[in-house]
Amino acid sequence: MPSFDPWVWVSALLTLAIFSFLYKDNPFYKIAEHIFVGATNGYAVTFYWHNVLVPRLFNPLFQGHQLWYIIPLTIGILYFTRFIPKISWLVRIPIGITIGYFTGIAIPAGIEASIIKQVGGTLLTSENFARWNAGPLGIVWSIILFIGVLCVVSYFYFSKEHKGVLKVTSGIGIIFIMIGFGAAFGYTVMARVSLLIGRLQFLLGPWLGIIR
Amino acid sequence: MNFIDRLTTINRKIIYLVLAIVIVIPLIFPSPQKVRVMAPVEKLFNAVDTIHEDKALIINFEYDPQSQPEVEPMGLAVLRHAFKRRIKVLVMSLYVQPLGLAKSALDQVVGEINAESKSNPDSIIYGRDFVFLGWQPGFYIPILGMGESITNVYKTDYYGNKTDTLTLMKQTKNYNNVELLVSLAVSDIPIYWVAYAQNRFGLQVGAGVTAVSAGDFYPYYQSGQFTGLMVGMKGGAEYEELLATRLNIHKRRKAGETLSSITFAHLTIILLIVIGNVGFFIKRRKR
Repeated sequence: MPSFDPWVWVSALLTLAIFSFLYKDNPFYKIAEHIFVGATNGYAVTFYWHNVLVPRLFNPLFQGHQLWYIIPLTIGILYFTRFIPKISWLVRIPIGITIGYFTGIAIPAGIEASIIKQVGGTLLTSENFARWNAGPLGIVWSIILFIGVLCVVSYFYFSKEHKGVLKVTSGIGIIFIMIGFGAAFGYTVMARVSLLIGRLQFLLGPWLGIIR
Repeated sequence: MNFIDRLTTINRKIIYLVLAIVIVIPLIFPSPQKVRVMAPVEKLFNAVDTIHEDKALIINFEYDPQSQPEVEPMGLAVLRHAFKRRIKVLVMSLYVQPLGLAKSALDQVVGEINAESKSNPDSIIYGRDFVFLGWQPGFYIPILGMGESITNVYKTDYYGNKTDTLTLMKQTKNYNNVELLVSLAVSDIPIYWVAYAQNRFGLQVGAGVTAVSAGDFYPYYQSGQFTGLMVGMKGGAEYEELLATRLNIHKRRKAGETLSSITFAHLTIILLIVIGNVGFFIKRRKR
């Protein structure tokens, strides 16, 4: 039995309006798209205003009289100088601070997590063999992984012409890359189909009452 | 236009229609699919299952409405598992959008368990058994800050309660009191947990991610940085299978019931790829 909840109807009609783009661009799609963009931005602005700016900046500064909060306020305001051509160069200050802060935090952690530990994961050690959960075959998988990593890295070595040994390794590297692309495409199909299923479950379930 | 030309120029609207049909029919007429549980999901299940009673589990909800169908079943499954085992749970998000979805999943699972419980100790009580920490800005800052003191980062919970007054938070000071974190995410957030919480504080991290991003996460599982990994609907369905077979939890399988649709959709797409390629090669030979 179809739902009597008006919000379920709003949600269902907006879903159908977005799906109508599969046929062709049309006013219903555009209305739904604009509602989405407007609602998202409205939600974000009010959320950050009430949960970040007011409790973490304005209240301590104007009610708690903690004057050092003027410093982050000033740095934040400098972002808006890009709208005034004469002093737009000042925007470089907050951008520089942001980049410096995030780079400082990200580089050591990124090197540790995404390079050192990942290189460790490719080494031919008994610990890595066991991680495959494949018994003696773990050694085979680890060797394939080891060869794959070396060959793919050699494919991206562009300082020397791909001839001789480098031609062979980069050729094998392409095979690994193509297998990776194929796997990624397969996963993408599964992901997108899953999202479609989610919407169809909503339309057939809570809206039309055809399924549970 | 001959037959071969038709093969390589199938109207995309026909493809959409065929896909919709092959997805909808199994939803209306479900046929149970056998779920084979793979090692990454089993390892995550085992890691949750063996959490010590004096330690907590953090569930990090990082999915938004767009990816809800894929990741929500994982969230429900992990919550059911943790509460069934009476594991203390902290729920939090580093982005704003997941908050409502996290609350919805918590309300659902807590409601299910409390509807069946007969006494106070049987029930799942807020503050004693779980806490919804909510959200804090600057996602590096909470990750690093929680290693020192969780209540300093989250001074109030999602509902506005002071966290240092909650029983569970008195026992759970920082990552030393947390055995595992499961990040259910659509973005790189699980990798941030590895980079900042695991490298610095030694926190075990597991992940549940969308299928489209699986390739980014498998290397972290293979290297042992992730304790376990769930990928897409299939990952959620495997966890649901483990809940049913090992813990006798037989709730609605939101991921498992979609597997038939996914299977038929995949077969259709494989068929379309084959048809397109056969048409392409025949045309090329004729030229």
